[in-house]
Amino acid sequence: MSEEIVKKTDKNRPLQRDEMSKLQWTWKEMKRNKTAYFMLFPFLILFIVFTVLPVLLSMFLSLTDFNMLEMPNWKGVDNYTRLFLDDDIFMLAVQNTLIFACVTGPVSYILSLLVAWFVNELPPKIRAVVTLVFYAPSISGQVYLIWKTLFSSDSYGWANATLMDLGIITSPILWFEDAAYVMPLCIIVALWTSLGTAFLSFIAGFQTVDRSMYEAAAVDGIKNRWQELWYITLPTMRPQMMFGAVLAITNSFGFGAVVDALCGFPSVDYAAHTIMHHLSDYGGSRYEVGYASAIAVVLFIMMFASNILVKKALSKVGE
Amino acid sequence: MKRTIFLRVVAMMLSVVLAFGALGVTSLASESVKTGSLKGESGTAATLEEMQSLLTTSSYEAYLLSHKDSINGDSRKEISLSVTDFNGDAIKVSDSKEVAASIAKSPGNWSELSEEDKAMSVFLPAVSSDGKAASVTWNFDIEVGASGFYTIEIEYFDCIIDAESYVDGENTVPILTKSSVSAIERKLSLRGVIPFDEVSSISFDKHWIYDYKTVSEPYEVPAEKRPFTSVGSVTEYEHIADGDNKGYYKYVTKTYPENGKLMQTVTTYKITQDINGNSMAPSAKAISTWTKHMVTDSSGYSDGALKFYLAEGSQWITLEAIKEPMIVKSIKIVPADAPNYKTDAHGNTYIDEQSSARSYADYLNYIRTEFNDDAKAANGVGTVIEAEFPDYISDSSVAATNDNTSAINSPVSSKAQLYNVIGENSYSAMGQWAAYTFTVDETGFYKLGARFRQDTLQGMFICRTLKLSGGIYGETAEVPFDEAYRIRFGYSNEWQSEYMGYYYDELDDNGNVVTDEDGNPVQSKKEIELFFEEGDEYTLYLECSLGDLKEKIKTVEESLNIINNCYLRILQRTGAEPDKNQDYSFMKYMPEVLVSLLEQAKTLTTVADELEALCGTNGSHIATLDTIARILTTMGADGGEKIAENMSNLKSYLGTLGTWINDSKTSSMMLDSVTIVPSDSDEDDIPYANANFFESIWFEISSFIYSFFTDYDKMGLTEEAQAEEGAVQVWLAMGRDQSQIWRSMIDAKGGFTDTYGKGVSLKLVTGGTLLPSILSGKGPDVYLGLGSSEVINYAIRNAIVGVSGNAGNLTEEQNAVFNNYWYRDANGNEIKSETKLSNEEMTSRGLRLVSSAFEEASRSEIFADAAMKTLTLSDTTYGLPMTMSFAMMFYRMDVLGELGLEVPETWDELLGSLPMLQSNNMTIGVSYVSALDFMIYQMGESMWRYEGDEYDSRWAGSAINLDSNVSLEAFDFVCSLYTEHSLPVSFDTANRFRTGEMPITIGDYISIYNSLVVFASEIGGVWEFSSLPGSIYEDEETGKEIYNYDSLAGVSATVLLNGCQDDIDTLLAAWQFMQWQTSREVQASYGNSIVALIGPAAKYETANKLAINDLSWTAKEKAAISDQMAHMDAIVNYPGSYIIARYMKFAFLDVYNDGLPANEAMMSYIDAINSELTRKRDEFSEYLYSQTTWEEMGLNAPPKLESKGE
Repeated sequence: MSEEIVKKTDKNRPLQRDEMSKLQWTWKEMKRNKTAYFMLFPFLILFIVFTVLPVLLSMFLSLTDFNMLEMPNWKGVDNYTRLFLDDDIFMLAVQNTLIFACVTGPVSYILSLLVAWFVNELPPKIRAVVTLVFYAPSISGQVYLIWKTLFSSDSYGWANATLMDLGIITSPILWFEDAAYVMPLCIIVALWTSLGTAFLSFIAGFQTVDRSMYEAAAVDGIKNRWQELWYITLPTMRPQMMFGAVLAITNSFGFGAVVDALCGFPSVDYAAHTIMHHLSDYGGSRYEVGYASAIAVVLFIMMFASNILVKKALSKVGE
Repeated sequence: MKRTIFLRVVAMMLSVVLAFGALGVTSLASESVKTGSLKGESGTAATLEEMQSLLTTSSYEAYLLSHKDSINGDSRKEISLSVTDFNGDAIKVSDSKEVAASIAKSPGNWSELSEEDKAMSVFLPAVSSDGKAASVTWNFDIEVGASGFYTIEIEYFDCIIDAESYVDGENTVPILTKSSVSAIERKLSLRGVIPFDEVSSISFDKHWIYDYKTVSEPYEVPAEKRPFTSVGSVTEYEHIADGDNKGYYKYVTKTYPENGKLMQTVTTYKITQDINGNSMAPSAKAISTWTKHMVTDSSGYSDGALKFYLAEGSQWITLEAIKEPMIVKSIKIVPADAPNYKTDAHGNTYIDEQSSARSYADYLNYIRTEFNDDAKAANGVGTVIEAEFPDYISDSSVAATNDNTSAINSPVSSKAQLYNVIGENSYSAMGQWAAYTFTVDETGFYKLGARFRQDTLQGMFICRTLKLSGGIYGETAEVPFDEAYRIRFGYSNEWQSEYMGYYYDELDDNGNVVTDEDGNPVQSKKEIELFFEEGDEYTLYLECSLGDLKEKIKTVEESLNIINNCYLRILQRTGAEPDKNQDYSFMKYMPEVLVSLLEQAKTLTTVADELEALCGTNGSHIATLDTIARILTTMGADGGEKIAENMSNLKSYLGTLGTWINDSKTSSMMLDSVTIVPSDSDEDDIPYANANFFESIWFEISSFIYSFFTDYDKMGLTEEAQAEEGAVQVWLAMGRDQSQIWRSMIDAKGGFTDTYGKGVSLKLVTGGTLLPSILSGKGPDVYLGLGSSEVINYAIRNAIVGVSGNAGNLTEEQNAVFNNYWYRDANGNEIKSETKLSNEEMTSRGLRLVSSAFEEASRSEIFADAAMKTLTLSDTTYGLPMTMSFAMMFYRMDVLGELGLEVPETWDELLGSLPMLQSNNMTIGVSYVSALDFMIYQMGESMWRYEGDEYDSRWAGSAINLDSNVSLEAFDFVCSLYTEHSLPVSFDTANRFRTGEMPITIGDYISIYNSLVVFASEIGGVWEFSSLPGSIYEDEETGKEIYNYDSLAGVSATVLLNGCQDDIDTLLAAWQFMQWQTSREVQASYGNSIVALIGPAAKYETANKLAINDLSWTAKEKAAISDQMAHMDAIVNYPGSYIIARYMKFAFLDVYNDGLPANEAMMSYIDAINSELTRKRDEFSEYLYSQTTWEEMGLNAPPKLESKGE
């Protein structure tokens, strides 16, 4: 007690939190935790150079007419005006991306969760095998090209040959070159490959739940497995769920390579043209990097916003 | 036999066709009466008669069987033809100074010949003066009583010609073809008929050597060494890893007494190294020589000379050129024994053909009687011949290579890739050989050990034919005995080291063949012993052959033909997609097909069993046959009930079987060394097969560690200096092999550096590297192989230097580099001249042309105008074309011949033949993407609309022409091909062409050719390609009918990158390099080298029209390519042109998928295309319209499209 009084009256005593400006406080805390910052430093550098800077740079470039080869000229918000007012295909791409994101995002997320829950119930040895089976499509790189064989446009492709065999069609369907089939097929392939890292993190999450909590809950009157899942399991594994959600969002918005590989670029009548495609169309084949940057910024904002939404939604889990 | 069945099937097919619809046939027949060829003289497609004649030639076996009752006459004797009395396209060498001079330049022993020999020689060009394949005929008579079997011996000189014309009397006749890397090929006919299939292409090997061999002047052995030196020769090997002399050497020191002195010469072989210590490929060069060649079967199915039956009376023999010029000195018709006809258990006659060589036992007897005491195991030590140093090779692609899979390959280094073996893929085609010269210390018998690895034909063995020349074996390479045709090398994953030998059927005491439980003969190996005398120099030839596998593979190949015919027959009944539930009643309609399916199943099973017995194991390679036999049995059983469901399986198995034959005929192995040891040596006297455990482990670990220290960027560089500043920086994005060829061509004597005195730094980069490098300012001076649309894309953004001398952004001094001729004087100074100097003026002033003006370098004899057009924008050209690809038409001659269809010359004819093809469930393959493009040009219009009456480059590319009547008609026509005429939109070209389902297919000539050559070698000889079918339209002004069969050029170019103009010397050097690199000589030499290195499937699509003549195409192929190259157009690249292909595809798919009317579909995209073009033109208005230009046009600002009006 007496020591504390001495300190308060001592002129050289360190300032308290309420006596400092925010900046002083931060600086003080940083000095106190300097070891942690030191250890963070290498990653921080890489993160800033390869993630933060490019995002800022692309925001800057979106205001110019940069063409990859010559010095950029300042264009103000021209690119954005054109993007929103004078680019029908961009609007189509936004529409496609949203359809894509709204279908594959939640479905793959829920699918991952349910499959993980189901797999978690299995005995450990079988679980390992089943996990691999579900995870395999997403680790084996370009394995989705198998769909290209299944739905080949040739009359010898499996789907065409079977349908012709059964007498349903008479001439081969150009599966990946027919606007009517492109989008549904791509969504199916996307879902097939979507049981990826998120799925693994869910399985890990299920296993971190403390068994004793289930017992406690049983005593407290949990009636069924669904309640157990909703009130105990999911709230406990919120970090994993957040991780999975972020992955689902970035995957569903950034879905492009699979469409390219299956339908070619651009897809017929832009039927599966997403914002990612629009971006690479302008950045790659037309050398309009300024405009492509504007597209990238819009995509970035869309992802960011949906991230916040998901975060809000997740906080409601278990309530 | 193959052909008779073929004929039967043809007859049946025709009858089926008739039964199907006599109406269709008659209407077709009336259409197929042709008034004359539209393409006229330049047409190269085969005629119907030519295609049908293919169907009537028989196999060698059938030919011999057809003469089984013929007897050899009593008064037969050797007939020497008088070679100089010829008819046709040839010239006596002594009659033409040009030819004589050109041949005299041929590397080889021409000049050593006597005048008499030269006077007897006749030069046979590859192409006659009218551009067709040259053909020469000699007449002779078979006297009464002299009819019978003969073989033919031709003595030829494989001359290397680099003249383009010769003087024939008063006319200058173009030779048209210089020599290339290919072997010489001729078609042989007797009395105007090809007697059998095998001589429709007979090949005459050229002789090649590596230029790594130097022979020292003779010198006297120094006194201090004399006591230790004995007469004879010593072979040593040395690898020097560092220093000025680094490299891998072989020395052969030959010691001999002369005038009482002991003299020595040293022959040094050197394989050079790059900076990293990797061996570099020595270049092979042809060495012309006289060779006596018996006419043999180049497919490898029969050993020894082919026999021809000649009847009494007048005869004539014709050689028609397929490839390459040659010189012939003598043709001899030599009497031969009658074939060994035998009768099997069923009373069928067959031929048990033996080569004319003696047996091994006879050989041994001969040696024993001839050499009495010396005929014993030699006394002395063995000699090791490292296989990577061949003295002669049969063609330039037989090459040494590196293998680091074993720690005891000699030599081997964990740091670098040293050449230590010969093979494996480059030494595997039938008839390829490598030859080694050697001497022995002591007279006597020797055995030959080989250290090799054969791991490609799983569970099977491969064979080599062993030939010898020198000493008692005579001057020409011959097998010493019959068994030498089948020296076996077994299969193993590991290296093997054993004595060479053949296998024979074991006999029991009664002289009967010992058999195993399946009734197959039991075989044992016999190591061969060869007799060599000291003092003689021998040459050992190891030639790829089929050996013991010959009959088996031949049976499978015949079987494949029969099954393929069955497949086509079934296809005609069921279509490509048979309905499983339908009853096709095969039993009723085609019982013979069911029978032959079952028969072939049996044949394949038998072959598989026999192979299993031969090889001792049942590897996966052999098991393939069983699998196919199983499916055939299933299909043939139960009256063909299972045919429908197994059709697609059968189709893929046909492909598998074709591949099986190809694989079995690929006799590939890696050979590390051949050891010649006295015949009483045992297993320990030849090198070990594999390293021991510790050696292997140590080698693996050290290789792994060294792999971190290798600078892969410097791969192929010989000196650090090459990467230095000052040199022209050249980048290329190709393979390592390609880059190494460019490197060696630049450095070679007479190459770029040697001729121009300027260094070149060559860097191999990956495809996407150019853009970022320009962005960061670290780009090269020259880039090889940039696609034409990229060229324009970069050019409008000022990243590429215009080379046409009128580029707006270059200074006058810089443009002058391209506007002037540059000459180099004796002191190495470069002098500029506005006009081209005459030859006399150049000689008098001691000047040499080192750079031409752009007009000269890009003139239309060299590059197609179309190709230049794709690199030009607003009158400035941004590069020289390097490669040019375009669509051509490939057709199956056998199928068209069977159906009686001409090769179509117009689209109407093509569509006319479609009903006939489709009624046989066949179709035509055309890619819609390329058809959409070339159709507009074939109908006489362009993709772009040109404003106004006169062409004005400022307005060019401002609007699309797809909405014109003609373009819409063209678009509608292409759509109708797929909608009305049901051509397939998506298909696998190679596979469907191979099975004959798609006997006509149109596509990029080089990629289809290359894939057919490797993928479908079993249909070799029955397909060809020619220029596209064309359209006929009426010219609006003159009202004349115009026939147009243009193809569209896809160009990649050599370009100069922005930045190289800053230094005028670099700019000139870069421009010189560009001209050198795209020149005829360099393009031809590159194209030939790449074929030599990688094989015949690596044909190169040079854009240089002249270089096509020097590449290894056959005369007919050259004519076809040149014909199409003369009929080329191109879609010019303007800003925004990427959008066209995209929307045309969308429009096409709208028509195909949704059934929209073609016009409507196309018109709905016109606005979108035009607005994108306008937008892009606005972006580049400053480039497209310089200030002076738009001021001249009376405008205040760069114009927009709207101002010009629609």
